Amino acid sequence: MRQYFSNIYLGVYSVFVGMAITFRQMLKPSVTHQYPYEHSFEQKKNVRDIPQGYRGQLFNRIEDCIGCKKCEMICPVDCIDITTEKLPKGERLWDSMNVVHLKDRTEIVGMIEGEEKIEPDTTVSIQTRERGAVEVSSEQIARVVERKPVIFYLDKFDIDMSLCMYCGLCTEVCPTECLIMIDTLEGIEYSTFDRTSLIFKFDKQEMYDKPVDEASETEAAD
Amino acid sequence: MLPVLQQLIQDTFPEFLVQGNNENLSLLVLEFLRSHVPFLASLPLSVSHLIAMLAVCVIFVAVVPLLPLFLVLAERKVSAHIQDRVGPMRVGPHGTLQTLADGVKLIFKEDHIPRQGDKILFVVAPYIIFACSFAVFAAIPFGKSILVSNLNIGIFYIMAISSVVVIGVIMAGWASNSKWSLLGALRSAAQIVSYEIPIGLSILAVVMLVESLKMQEIVMNQGGLGVLSWIVFRTPFTFIAFFVFFISAIAEVNRTPFDLPEAESELVAGFHTEYSGMRFALFFIAEYANMFAVSAIAATLFLGGWKGILPGYDFLGGTPGFVIKTLLLVFVMMWIRWTLPRLRVDQLMNLCWKYLIPISFFNILGIGIWVLIFQNDKHPAYIGISLLIIILGIFGAYLVLGKRSSQSPAPGASSA
Repeated sequence: MRQYFSNIYLGVYSVFVGMAITFRQMLKPSVTHQYPYEHSFEQKKNVRDIPQGYRGQLFNRIEDCIGCKKCEMICPVDCIDITTEKLPKGERLWDSMNVVHLKDRTEIVGMIEGEEKIEPDTTVSIQTRERGAVEVSSEQIARVVERKPVIFYLDKFDIDMSLCMYCGLCTEVCPTECLIMIDTLEGIEYSTFDRTSLIFKFDKQEMYDKPVDEASETEAAD
Repeated sequence: MLPVLQQLIQDTFPEFLVQGNNENLSLLVLEFLRSHVPFLASLPLSVSHLIAMLAVCVIFVAVVPLLPLFLVLAERKVSAHIQDRVGPMRVGPHGTLQTLADGVKLIFKEDHIPRQGDKILFVVAPYIIFACSFAVFAAIPFGKSILVSNLNIGIFYIMAISSVVVIGVIMAGWASNSKWSLLGALRSAAQIVSYEIPIGLSILAVVMLVESLKMQEIVMNQGGLGVLSWIVFRTPFTFIAFFVFFISAIAEVNRTPFDLPEAESELVAGFHTEYSGMRFALFFIAEYANMFAVSAIAATLFLGGWKGILPGYDFLGGTPGFVIKTLLLVFVMMWIRWTLPRLRVDQLMNLCWKYLIPISFFNILGIGIWVLIFQNDKHPAYIGISLLIIILGIFGAYLVLGKRSSQSPAPGASSA
C-alpha cells in the first residue's frame, strides 16, 4: 500500500522536476547561428586560432604587383585572369616607393625619410601621398619592401575564388610576394549569396589616371 | 415547400424560436441579421434562422482550421526553445508564415492511395476524424452567448463524439494495408478505450457537483468568487480529478508521453503512415483541433470557463479569458510533450488501470460525501476548507512519502 502511494508521489514529483528543467531551458538563449546572415566568427564563439600559413582566400597587394602573369600561368584551374598594357619605354606611372609592413598587419606606402636602414628604438618618418608624413616607431615595423616603379597599366586582375583549389602555387611563384592567401578568419569565411561576387577584382586603375571605359569599370575588392 | 420546412423546424427545435434569449451563437447572428438585413426580416422566422445557423457553421468551419495553423507554429517554437534552438525563422518574420507554407505544400502534394488498400475506407477515414474533432466545438461555450448549441447533454455529447474518432483511426489503419498503420491503429484503439474511463469518471465528479450536463450551466456555476469558485479549488476531489482528466486527455489526443499510436521511432507515423497530401493535412489539423478542444473542455469544466478570475468583476473573463486559459493548457501539453519520454505499452496500461481509474473511483466516493455535507455551496468557508485540505495533502505527501522515496526509488515506478 505504501509502495503504491510512493509510486504516485514519485511519478508526480519526477514529472514536475522534469518540467522545471525544460522550463528553465526554454528561458535560456538559443545557441543557433543563423549562418548565412550571422557568422560564428563575428561573435568570436567556438573559433580556434588559425595556424599561420593557412591557405585561405587569395589576396593581391596590388601596389606591389608587377603584372608578370606567372600566377596566371601556373594556376592549374585557370582561375586568375590578368590583362596588362605596357607604357612607352622610359615612361613610368609611379616612382619606386617603400612599403612598410607593420606588425599589426597594416601597411604604409611612401618614402622613408633619411636612411633606408631602420635602427631599433627610433622613430621613422614616412612621406605618403595621401596622409603626408607619418611617424612610426621602429618596433612596430615588421619589414620594409621596395616597390618597383609602375611602368604598365594593369587593367584587369580577376581571381575567381569559386574555381580556386587552394593549392597555393601562385603565391609560391609570385616574385614580389604580393599575391598571398589570407590566413585569418576573413580569408576562410567569405561565403556570399551570389556566385559572381566570388570573383575578386584587383587592378591598378585607382592608382593612375588612365581613362577607363564605363563598361569595363571595376572595383577593387577589400 | 417553405411552410413545411418552417413547421419542421418549429417542431424539431421549438426552443430556438424564443426571441430575446441569446443563449447561443445562431440566435445572436439571427438577431443581428434580422435587424441589419431587411430582406431576411421579411422572410419567415424559421427560414432566416436556418440561414443564421448556416452562417454560424461557416464561421466555425473558417475559424477552427486557423487554430492548428497557429498551434503548429507554437508547438515548433516551444519545442525549439526548450531544446535551445530557434525554430522556423525563414518564412515571414520569425517564421510566422511557416505553417501556411507547409499547408500550401501539402495541398499540392500527390494524393496517394495504396493499391492494395481498401480504397473507400482510406478516403473516408480522414473525414471522420476531421468531422468528429470539429463537432466537439459545437458544444464548447466560448462566451455567454458564443456557443453553437447549448445542448442539455453538452459534456455527454462531447464525450460521445470524441470517442467516434477511434473509428476513423481504425479505418485509416486498416485501409492502409500496412503493418505500421494497423499496429498504430490498434494501439490507438486500446489507448482511447482505456483512457475514456478515467476521463468519464473525472467528468462525473464535476457533474455530481454541478448537477447538470449543460456546459453553460457548469460555467455559470463557477462564477461569483473569481478563481476561488473554479471547480478545481472547490473540493479537494475535483482538484485531483482535474489532474486525472488532464493526463487522460493527453492520452486521448495521442500526444507524448502517450503517443504510442504514432510512435515515430517504432511505427514510422502510426495510423497515418500511408497518407499524403491533403488527407495527411486533415489528420494534422484534426490532431491540433483535438488538442485545443480537449484543453477547452478542461478549462470549461475545471478552470471557470469564460468566467473571470476576480470576484465580482469581469477581469480576464469572456471569450478572450477563455481562450487564454485554453491556450495556457495547450502550452502545458506542449511542455509535457517535450519533457517526458514515451511510455511502454504495459506502462501505459499500468498507469490507466492501476492508478488513474482507482483514483477516479475514490474521487467519486469523496465527491459524493462532500456534496452530502456541503451541498455544492460556494460559501468561502467551504472553499477555504477545500484549499486547506489540498495544501495539507500536498505537504503530507511530501513529508510522509518524499524522504523515503528519494532515498530508494521504487523499482518499476510508473510515471503519473
